[in-house]
Amino acid sequence: MKNFLAFVAVLVLGFLIITSLNNNEAFPNYGEADISERVSQAYIDRSATENPGDITFGETTDLESGPANIVTAIVADYRSFDTLGEVTVLFISSLGVALLLGGVNRKRIDLDFHPNFMLRVGSRALFGIILMTGVYVAIHGHLTPGGGFPGGAMIASSMLLLYLADDEFRVKIKGFKMLESVAGSLYVLIGLTGLLLISGGFFLENFLDNGVIGNLFSAGIVPIVYVLIGLKVGSEISGIIDNFLTEEAV
Amino acid sequence: MSAILLIAVPLLTAFVSILFKKYSHYMLIAVSFLSVFALGYMDLETITIGGFDAPFGIVLILDNYSLIGLYLVNILFFIVAVLNCKEYKKLSSILLVSLAGLNGLLLTGDLFNLFVFLEVAGIAAYLITTTNKKPLATFNYLVQGTLGSSLYLLGLILLYAMFGTLNMSDMAREIGTSGYGAGVTALPFLLMFIGFGVEAKLLPFNSWAKGILASSNSLSGPMIASVYAAAISLVFGRLLTNVFVIEGTLLTIVMGILVFSLVAGEAMAFSSKKVKEILLYSSVSQAALVVLVFMTGFAGWAVYLIIGNATAKLVLFLVTNIAAKQLGDDEVDTFKGLFTNNKVVGLAFTAVTLSVVGLPFFFGFVTKMNILENMFLSGAYVWPALILITSFIEGIYFIRLLLNLWHTDGDSPEVKFDFVLKYVVVVIAVLTMIFGVYTKPVQDSADDLVVYSITEGGNF
Repeated sequence: MKNFLAFVAVLVLGFLIITSLNNNEAFPNYGEADISERVSQAYIDRSATENPGDITFGETTDLESGPANIVTAIVADYRSFDTLGEVTVLFISSLGVALLLGGVNRKRIDLDFHPNFMLRVGSRALFGIILMTGVYVAIHGHLTPGGGFPGGAMIASSMLLLYLADDEFRVKIKGFKMLESVAGSLYVLIGLTGLLLISGGFFLENFLDNGVIGNLFSAGIVPIVYVLIGLKVGSEISGIIDNFLTEEAV
Repeated sequence: MSAILLIAVPLLTAFVSILFKKYSHYMLIAVSFLSVFALGYMDLETITIGGFDAPFGIVLILDNYSLIGLYLVNILFFIVAVLNCKEYKKLSSILLVSLAGLNGLLLTGDLFNLFVFLEVAGIAAYLITTTNKKPLATFNYLVQGTLGSSLYLLGLILLYAMFGTLNMSDMAREIGTSGYGAGVTALPFLLMFIGFGVEAKLLPFNSWAKGILASSNSLSGPMIASVYAAAISLVFGRLLTNVFVIEGTLLTIVMGILVFSLVAGEAMAFSSKKVKEILLYSSVSQAALVVLVFMTGFAGWAVYLIIGNATAKLVLFLVTNIAAKQLGDDEVDTFKGLFTNNKVVGLAFTAVTLSVVGLPFFFGFVTKMNILENMFLSGAYVWPALILITSFIEGIYFIRLLLNLWHTDGDSPEVKFDFVLKYVVVVIAVLTMIFGVYTKPVQDSADDLVVYSITEGGNF
């Protein structure tokens, strides 16, 4: 009966969505929205404060927002405050996992299989490559697709590999806590620097030189913030992995 | 002082506090005290973040409305934190994040940023309720809360696809100038209304509330029923009065939901045999009443209603949860004669309860009377009648409860309340009585306390 009611509720909701959005004059068809009047156009043109004209990759300097990657410009510059919030969401989730599962004396959960020597050694070789890719993705977040969140997830996945391939392996969780705390605090402190140390400044303002668009050293605080996010995300997810794969020692 | 510090400082402290677990509860007390203190030095303004003006960047709005909300939430949060910091040391970092989230909710002027803070505050709330030691109820809350905020997000996505902006005042302006009828935005607003309805405990979206509040403790009870409820109602009020366009069929549906919550909440409270259940169902119907007052356009009085409810629920849940913990359960029969040994707490509890019911010479009377008067003047006779009937039911079960708590034939139970708690409840009770008699400041300010106007909200 419960399943049937749920099915009916889903059907009603689906019907409601289709009828109210079909032929809705305000809701544009896929790909047909006129963005010239919208805020998104200003993010693409970098013209939220003033119009810079044509932008050339590798030449144009001192834009209002420096990242060549438009998504990064929005996520880590125009709407960086939301990203700080999302970082906090992950932070409190990992705190919650630690609150519910964590304890002082913990040991690895006994697994049914014992990885052989080749798997253990091979995974350690692979670990470095995955870790470096993660770091690369985080550092180049302002230039290429990726950034702190995917980079951090990759860093954590290299840790997950070690955990899965070696049933004895444990990281020093204290180090990760330290990294997590320092990276998060630095993100907020960078934001506060813009507010407090610069006259007429704003929280999370990009107070460094934006440089030439497309260079590795460009976009001011954006790459710094993205690396911090990568470290924080990586250490938080690694901490969550550790919490899930260990148990209270009897 | 920039209001951004109310979010940034608790957050920074939370990040630092995980390294200094031994001192984290001192940090919590210090930061929540400083937040209250710092509010006195804030100027009313629109705060731009990152240097990009609205609607391109995110803005925070500090106006009279959010300032009152911040005072209320920060003071109540500080009280709850002080009373519980020793017992729930482990949650200090989480409480710091929740303070940042609640302040963000009240301040933000951006609809997506609102979702982010809803998630931050929401996850903190799920973790606070884990102290109830009822994992299934917490899981229920988690699933329903997440579903609610997802519906809010879905509604927001639809609005963004239609109007291409996330800033609240810009969105309201776009909707106003677009010239489309109210029909086009009915679905997104319904989804967002349901999303907030889950958090604000409106029936039928509130089945989590029973599991959480009926087994709450001295931290989770006041936190969820008082602090969170106040913050969510205030944000809901801001959306209802400034952003949402609710007309036609949607208005009928929404009003139906509210009337159902109001009546069913009181009816369930009336038939409950447990003290906590009476309180929680009464807060369900109070939440619906607040939304109803916002919808009928008396935002100033709705704010006072929220203030009255939040302070009252703080006292009621604190006293009940401490007594229930020492007595083992919260049946009305167990509580019989509780106040014969604790006259001070009993008098404060009584005063606050009578204020919730809305008897003369208490703060609750002033708000209810003015709401009724304004509704009559505006010519809507259905709502005052409904409010009077539900207040009458409320009066019956609360006074029945009070009689049970004061009177017993057998032995009265022994419960010890510590000094800080006594002090807090007495101060709140005295304040409800003072502002119930000396009504001038309340009367004068209610009309000025309009929710921010659109031109003030965005600096574009």
